Formats: sequence, C-alpha cells, structure tokens
Amino acid sequence: MSKPKVGIFGLTGCAGCQLAIINCEDELLDIVGAVDLKSFVMAQSNNEETEFDVAFVEGSVVTREDEHYLKEIRSKSGILVAIGSCACFGGIQAAANDREREDLLQIVYGTKENFYEARKVAALHEVVKVELQIPGCPIEKSEIISGIASLLRGDTPLIPTYPVCLECKYKENLCLLKERGDMCLGPVTRAGCDARCPSHGVACRGCRGPVEEANTASEYSILLEKGYAEEDIKRALRTFAYATELKEKL
Amino acid sequence: MTRKIRVDHLSRVEGHGRIKVEIEDGKISELQFSIFEGPRFFEAVALGRKYDQVHSVMARICAICSAGHKITSIMALEDALGVEVTEQTKLLRELYYHGMFIESHVLHLYFLALPDYLGYPSAIAMVSDHGPVVERALQMKKLANDIQEVCSGRPIHGENPVVGGFGQVPSADQLRTLHDRLQEYLPAAEETVSLFAGLDYPSFTKAPTVFYAVKPDGDLFSYFGSSIACSDGRVIAMKDYRQVCEEKVLPYTSAKQSLPGGQPFMVGALARVNLFASTLTPRAARALEQSGISIPSDNSLHNNLAQAVETLYSFERAIDIIEDLFRRGLKQEPPVEVRPKAGVGIAGTEVPRGTLYHEYELDDEGRVVKANVVTPTAQNQANIEKDFRNCVTRMHEEADDVQLTKYLEMIARAYDPCISCAAHYVELVRR
Repeated sequence: MSKPKVGIFGLTGCAGCQLAIINCEDELLDIVGAVDLKSFVMAQSNNEETEFDVAFVEGSVVTREDEHYLKEIRSKSGILVAIGSCACFGGIQAAANDREREDLLQIVYGTKENFYEARKVAALHEVVKVELQIPGCPIEKSEIISGIASLLRGDTPLIPTYPVCLECKYKENLCLLKERGDMCLGPVTRAGCDARCPSHGVACRGCRGPVEEANTASEYSILLEKGYAEEDIKRALRTFAYATELKEKL
Repeated sequence: MTRKIRVDHLSRVEGHGRIKVEIEDGKISELQFSIFEGPRFFEAVALGRKYDQVHSVMARICAICSAGHKITSIMALEDALGVEVTEQTKLLRELYYHGMFIESHVLHLYFLALPDYLGYPSAIAMVSDHGPVVERALQMKKLANDIQEVCSGRPIHGENPVVGGFGQVPSADQLRTLHDRLQEYLPAAEETVSLFAGLDYPSFTKAPTVFYAVKPDGDLFSYFGSSIACSDGRVIAMKDYRQVCEEKVLPYTSAKQSLPGGQPFMVGALARVNLFASTLTPRAARALEQSGISIPSDNSLHNNLAQAVETLYSFERAIDIIEDLFRRGLKQEPPVEVRPKAGVGIAGTEVPRGTLYHEYELDDEGRVVKANVVTPTAQNQANIEKDFRNCVTRMHEEADDVQLTKYLEMIARAYDPCISCAAHYVELVRR
C-alpha cells in the first residue's frame, strides 16, 4: 500500500497547532516516515500542489483569502481534519464576533478601511465540509499522534465526549468551582487534556470548546450564584468557541 | 527590460509574509515586505475583560513566544494593579523564558534557517545526511518544551502563570530533572554555536543600523529590565516605550510598523548581543569570542549566530536559576493577593525576536478599558525592507533572479519573522 499523501496547512491563527505537531520530537521522524508529507509550508520548502488523502488545517477563516485558500484545500483533499479550537470553533479571534469589523478596525488600527478584507470569523465547518475535528488550544500531542495513527489504519480517532470535570475528579483535585468559587469552565468543556489547568490550581478556561450537550445554563446560574457579573461570565464563555457552538446560547 | 519572478510560498517562516520588489532600469521602483496574517483584533478582544482573564487571551497571539506574551501581559497588569511578586516567582518566570528562548532559537536555527545554508528543503530532509545534527536539535527542543511545561503546565499556552505568581510551583523533583538534562545537553548548545560560527554569512545587507533592547537592571545579560537601551547610547524609561515604537498603519500590511522619527531599527538576538555581549555567561562569552565574528556587527544575517550564542546563554542561566531556587529553599507559595483598582500598566521584555511591549489601562473593577501590544516583528519590518533595498541595490547586476530571490528569503528568515502561519510568496518584478 502506498503511503497516504498528507498536507498540513494554516489559516489565521497562532501556528500553535502546527507547532504542536513539530513538537512531537520523539515521534516526528516516525510520523514523516509513515506518510508522504506533500505540503507543510511552516516546516519545509519543497511543497507540492497536489491532491491529498488527508489535509490537517489549523486556524479559522478570518479573511476572504482564508476562505479561498480553505476551499482550494477542500477541493484537493479526501479527508479534511480541523485541528485546534480556531479551526473547530473559531477560536480567540471569534471572541469579538458580536462587533462590526469596522469598529474593530477602528479600535486596533485607527481606521475603518478594511484593507485586509476581514470578515466575521468562522470555523472551518461553516465554510466547507469537515470530516474530523480535533479540538484544543493548542491540540494535545497525544491526540494528534493517535489521530494520525487511527487515520493510517482507516479508522477515526476517539475524541472524549465527557467534560473536563471527569478527568479532574480522577485526579482527585479540589473542585475549584464549588470549593474555591473560581470561574472554572470544566463542567461545560470537552475533556482530553487530563484536566491540566485545574490540576495546577488554575480554573479551566474552556480552551477545548464545549462538550456535547453542555449544560451552559446551569454553569451560568452557578457562576451568578457565586457572585460573578453577567458580562464577565459571558466573556469567559465566549473566549474560544463564540463563532459556532455557543452563539445561540449566549 | 521587464523580468518577472514569482516564487510561490516563502516557506520556513512562521507567518503569511509577502515580499514584493520591482526593479525598473536597474533602479528599485517598488519594495514592500507585507504581513498577510488576517487581523485578529486582540486589543479589542481584551476590552472589558477582568485582569485575571486577560493574559490567557493575549498569550494566544503567538505559539512560539506564548510565554513572552503571557508573562509580559501579566507584568503589565501587575504594574497597573501595583502588585509586587516574590523573588521566587521572578526566577521561575525567567526559567520559563529560557525554555521559550531555547525552543524558539533551536527551532529557528536548525529547522528554518540551517536548510538554507546546507542546501536542503527542510530539516527532515537533512536526516539521512546529518542525522546526529537533527537528533541533537530535536533533543534540545524537547528539553526546552519540558522546561516550559514544568513552569506553565503545557508546552504551548500553559495557564499556570497567573497575575501574582503561579497556580502551582514546580516540584523539586521536576526542577532537579531539568537541571540534570540541561547539564547533559550543555555540550549540544556549545556545538550549536560552533556550527553557526562556521557558516558563511554574506554581507550584502551590511549597513549602519540602530539597535534597541531592554536594558538589564543588573550587570548580567538578561531578557528583563526596567528601561530600554539604544545603540546610540540613549537609555529610555519603560513608560516612554512609545518613543521607540510609534506605530504607523500601512495599507499593505496587517502588522503596524514601528518607525521612531522615521528611522528603521533592529531588535532581537543581534541587538541584545551587540549591546550587552560583555555581560554574557562564561561559556556563551567564550563561544562568541571563538566564533571569530566581531561584535558589534552591522550584518543582520549575524542574527543567526547571536541566536546560537543566546541558546548557550539560556542553558547556563537556566542551570544557575534552578541552583539558586534550591539555595533559597523552594517554597510552595500561592499567588500574591490582588485587589482590583484603576491604573495604567506597561511592561517590556525581550522575547526571542526582540522587544515585546504590553500596555493596559484598567478601570476600578480591574476591567481592561485600553490595551496596546507592540511585537518585535512589527518593529523589525522597516529594517527588513532597508536590508532588502541594500541587497537589491548591491546585488541586482551580478545575481540572477533565482539567486536574488534566495538572498531576499535568507534576509527575511534571518530575522525569524513571527507572523504566525505560513508565508505566501515572494514577488519580484524587474522592468
């Protein structure tokens, strides 16, 4: 069997999910040995414009150029995998999606002129068909490796469907939400990070996006009870996934 | 005569960048280095957020210097809130920075820049001929990521550093392990300097250059300090950082360009080494001396050598910090308590590509009402254009289009421009 042709691409984002792949120091040479890496612009210069069996795409659609580029990748790829919370849910840059682009340009660049053809930020699946989503800000090394391994076997990787709280409980951490009254988003956030932040005594910020059937209303009322202002709760919940999953709920 | 060259994909830089040069009758008629990263409006996303929610957002500006954005924003917020952190917190933040510097410099030196000098498309392609070199780079990078993970809870965008300190102080075991591995790979860092000292650096960009860097408060080389030094001898207070980088918005780029008094300047490893070489750690100082490259240098391609020297410095300093932490007695201390109040806070630190500034204005509930971030690549942009101009002016007659394009790519990569993502294309038009 010939090696699958793979491309790794970045739209607008911080390049952290591509970096997370380069950060697989122990596995990197095995990964590039198991696939035919046709395009990875961040890491190599001999990139080919070709068809891909699997395309991994990081970042979200922020400009018209991102939109064209994504559609082009889609048209050449068998399986398109959204990697990271920008690609899956819009990410941080979507947190200001409730504001007009002109206002944002005025705030940041001091001009309303839209040189950059900025548009409302969208997750990949809002623009093209996406076969698989690997969330995280950034993606976890273990998920990218098991993701690639599953795809090589013709399988789809398992992404947890339970919240961060479950992993946090396994680690016997103090509950930051109930015991300390921190603004912890663990109950509404998808697990898979081994509850990294609460294990360090830092509240979950929701970087892996909403868990399936997240009970956002309940989280909201608990935080209100704890004395948090509505605007602060909304802002926290909008941080990583405002483009898609939470739009209707907030 | 009109000649057009277009190289798709300026690869191996972390960003959507585009170079456009037009030469008409032997003279440059147009020259631009544009940044194409889509605007992400971070300053606007920060608005209204409470002080304890801001740094987590701002770290996401960049993955490679996530530690830099995180700590610089935390320091600016602490400045606004009047928070004083413990010596242990300062040391741990510095250790986190050394993890970032080693990771970023090793990635840039071996994976992005070295293939240019050795004639390969990527570090991966170098494996069959230079296996041990690539393996060495991977091991140093891994160690650097482990330093960042121990300090911040994750190699990228870790949430453990907070306003006032750390959620959890790393354990003695974790620090001891890092210490031993830093000792083990110290020779690899020394070999990195020898490797980059042995490369042939063309001098087509060499020209008088103004350098800026944060001025360390003590007598030792450092990425932290409370004022800014300029190569012309001036020292500027941190609160006056806008004197260095008055930002200008240009229609062709989504990074705001910095031009104090209209003059381009350079920040980054070469600026720091040029300004403070005499204060380096012993091995780094010796390695720089043995490199045979005279400092200060006006050749921006020497930035690669300066990065290698700083990699070794960061190894030595990280070892010292861990020993210092043990000498002081490592304490599991909670973050300093913070009382929200109104104020303006400014912080500037050295990150791998140069000086990074964060400024916030908070209201009396500790919510952000104004934010400003100035990144190193935005400051270097005008100097990169200056270098392009010098290179094209000096080389366009003898160099063919392929060579000239390669030179321009080499210049861009020497600065290690961090625009996040993949660069698009160099467009070179000759008429």
